[in-house]
Amino acid sequence: MSQAQTLPASPLKQWWLKWRFHLNILLILIPLGFMPKYFADAKLFRGDAGLGVNVISDIQVGPYSLDLAEMRDEAPRADGPAGHFKSFNASLCKACINDVKAVYLRIGKPRSLRAAGTIFFGAPYRMGTNLPIPPRTQPDAQIWITLEGWDGSMHQASVPLAKASPATVAWLEKQGGKK
Amino acid sequence: MKHLMRKLALPLLVLAAGPALAHNPMCECEEVASGQVKCTGGFSDGSGAPGVTLDVIGYDEQVLVGGKLGDDSTLTFKRPDGEFYVLFDAGPGHVVEVDYADIGQP
Repeated sequence: MSQAQTLPASPLKQWWLKWRFHLNILLILIPLGFMPKYFADAKLFRGDAGLGVNVISDIQVGPYSLDLAEMRDEAPRADGPAGHFKSFNASLCKACINDVKAVYLRIGKPRSLRAAGTIFFGAPYRMGTNLPIPPRTQPDAQIWITLEGWDGSMHQASVPLAKASPATVAWLEKQGGKK
Repeated sequence: MKHLMRKLALPLLVLAAGPALAHNPMCECEEVASGQVKCTGGFSDGSGAPGVTLDVIGYDEQVLVGGKLGDDSTLTFKRPDGEFYVLFDAGPGHVVEVDYADIGQP
């Protein structure tokens, strides 16, 4: 005969013992809710979802051309004291991949090649960069693309910020030129 | 011991993920006493920028002050006359420009 005694368990304990198995199945189901976002992100980062949103195709920059797109249709993201940044993607035309050394992006016309803005990195078919958005940027600002060739040449072109990233312009207008 | 490791695992993993964040360059300039301007450079992941080039360039693209940040990631120089901008240059595409109009009085 077993000596174990059955103690009168509290109702809470009884409830737990009865349902814990099913509750654990629910815990396994929770991640499933995040799956659509996960797969959408994976598709975006792999490039299966295209370059990004608000793609501007075939921007002619001197003899070269490229496609530009913002990573996500959203307002610039804050990065602590460094300010707000907006993520852009670009892809060079296939014929100019070997000739182009660097691609830069800047709000407003660069003063010099040294201050051409932020540099694109990654494979030329899908490069990315973080563009700093100064808080006092005018909503009608232009973003300037600077291409530096291996032959030392420099070519520039600009597109309206409102076309490249409507969400950034909306954010700037909401800010109202603060700071 | 095993129990402690388990408790610490998550905080340690979170800390280890920190350096993977972006490190955008940043530069702040302010006017200190007697017409001197003090610029502090760094990166948004909290690291400093000792030895990084910091040039003061006039609107006519003449380099007025060419210097490097000291061990405390700062450089102090005399405020030039006229229009100029400060260029924090941590390499191509890793630059920050600070316009003279944004350098506040103390």
